[in-house]
Amino acid sequence: MTTWSRGACRAAEKVTKGQDVGFLPGDTARHHRAVILDLLQEALTEAGLTSQEIDCIAYTKGPGMGAPLVSVAVVARTVAQLWNKPLLGVNHCIGHIEMGRLITGATSPTVLYVSGGNTQVIAYSERRYRIFGETIDIAVGNCLDRFARVLKISNDPSPGYNIEQMAKRGKKLVELPYTVKGMDVSFSGILSFIEDAAQRMLATGECTPEDLCFSLQETVFAMLVEITERAMAHCGSQEALIVGGVGCNLRLQEMMETMCQERGARLFATDERFCIDNGAMIAQAGWEMFRAGHRTPLSDSGITQRYRTDEVEVTWRD
Amino acid sequence: MQAADAGAGGGAEGADDGADGPGSPGGAGEATAAALGRAPPVTRPRHAPRPGGDAAATAGRTGGRTYVFALCVPFPSAVEAEIACGSLAPDAEPHGGVVEKQLTVRGSVLAVRWRATNPRLLRISIISFLDQLSLVMRTMQRFGPPATR
Repeated sequence: MTTWSRGACRAAEKVTKGQDVGFLPGDTARHHRAVILDLLQEALTEAGLTSQEIDCIAYTKGPGMGAPLVSVAVVARTVAQLWNKPLLGVNHCIGHIEMGRLITGATSPTVLYVSGGNTQVIAYSERRYRIFGETIDIAVGNCLDRFARVLKISNDPSPGYNIEQMAKRGKKLVELPYTVKGMDVSFSGILSFIEDAAQRMLATGECTPEDLCFSLQETVFAMLVEITERAMAHCGSQEALIVGGVGCNLRLQEMMETMCQERGARLFATDERFCIDNGAMIAQAGWEMFRAGHRTPLSDSGITQRYRTDEVEVTWRD
Repeated sequence: MQAADAGAGGGAEGADDGADGPGSPGGAGEATAAALGRAPPVTRPRHAPRPGGDAAATAGRTGGRTYVFALCVPFPSAVEAEIACGSLAPDAEPHGGVVEKQLTVRGSVLAVRWRATNPRLLRISIISFLDQLSLVMRTMQRFGPPATR
C-alpha cells in the first residue's frame, strides 16, 4: 500500500535564508508552486512507482498559512482526479504525532508538539487527540525566532539552531518572566520583556548575547517541561514524545529526559529528519486515515488556516 | 492546451451600480463578448486620477459599489474543465465574504465570476486565482491525460 504526499517546509527554509523576516506567505506559495511538480516527479521516480500503483493522495488540509496550503492542495486535487485516486486531507499536527509514533515506537505517549507555528501538549483519549495544554498566544518557536531577529542572529541554517549553539556558551542566567498559566503557557510577555531588556543589558555589558540565549532557553523550556509533566500526571502516562521543529533542540530533550526519569517515564524524540515539517509525516497520517476508511470528498477538501488537533476523529486507534 | 489568453473572454466592468438601472455600459457587452470568445470593450473608469491621494479617494468612493470580473478558460475537453473546477473551487476566499468567487463548467469551458466591493481585494483574488490556475494547468500537462474512468 502506497501513499504519496507533499510537504515542502524543508525547501521553504531556503526561501528565508539570508532574510531577516520569517516566512512570508506569498513568497512561500510562489516557491511551492515553482518546485512542486518536479518534486512530485522525483518522488515517483525515486520510489519506482507509476501513478496507477498509488493508493491515495494525502495533503495538508491545515493548519498553516493560506496561500502555501492552497498551492499544494490544488495539485493534490488535480492528480487525485487525473489518476482517479482517493484524497485525504490531513491535519498537520496529527502528521507530526503519527510520524513520531511510527519512528519511535511509542505506544500512547503524552506529546509535546513544539514548532514555529504550534505549541501544544496532546494526549490520545477516546478517538481524539486532546489538547491538554497550549500556548495562549505565540508558539515557542516563534518566540525564539523573533528573539533571534532582535539580536540579529543568522537564519542559516535556522535561528533556533543558532540560539541553541550560542546558549551553550552562556554563563549567566538572566531572570525572565516565567509564564505558566495552569495547563497553558504564554510567550509574548517574555518576548517583549527580552526585546526591551536585550538592548539595555548588552549596552551596559551586564550580560552577553550568549547569556540571553541561554536564559531564554532555560526559561521557556522549563515552562514546556512543566506543562508536559502536568499532563502526564493527569493521564498517568509513562511515555513522552517530542515532535515539531523545536523538538530538535538537544537542551529541550535533555530537560524533558530529566523530568521523565524522575517520574519513571520514557522519553521519545526524533532527529531533525522527522522533527521538522516533512511530507512523509503527512503520508503516514494519511495512510492511517485511509486504512481506517477516511476519504475527503473534493467539496470538503478546502484548506483551513485554523484546524485544531482535536477536531479530527481518530478512528485508526482504539 | 490553449493558454488562458488565447481566445479566452474576460474583462473588467466599471462599477456596477444598481442605481443606474440595468447596469454599466460594459455589462451586456462583456457577457456577449465572453460568449463569442472575444475581448470585451474596455470601459472608461468613472473617475480620473488626481494628483496625490487618488487611491484614498477611490477607496472613499467605493462604498456600496460592486465590482464584477469574469473569466472564461477553455480546456481541450469537458473532463479537463471539470478537473480544473474540482481543484480550484474548494478553497474559500480569505477575508470573510468580501470577495465572492463562483466557478462553473459550461461544456469544456471553466467560467469564473467574481463580485466584490473592494477593488484591491478583488485584484488580489484574481491574481492569486491566475497563479493557482496556471499551476493546475501545468499539473494536467505534466501528469495527464486523465485516466479512463
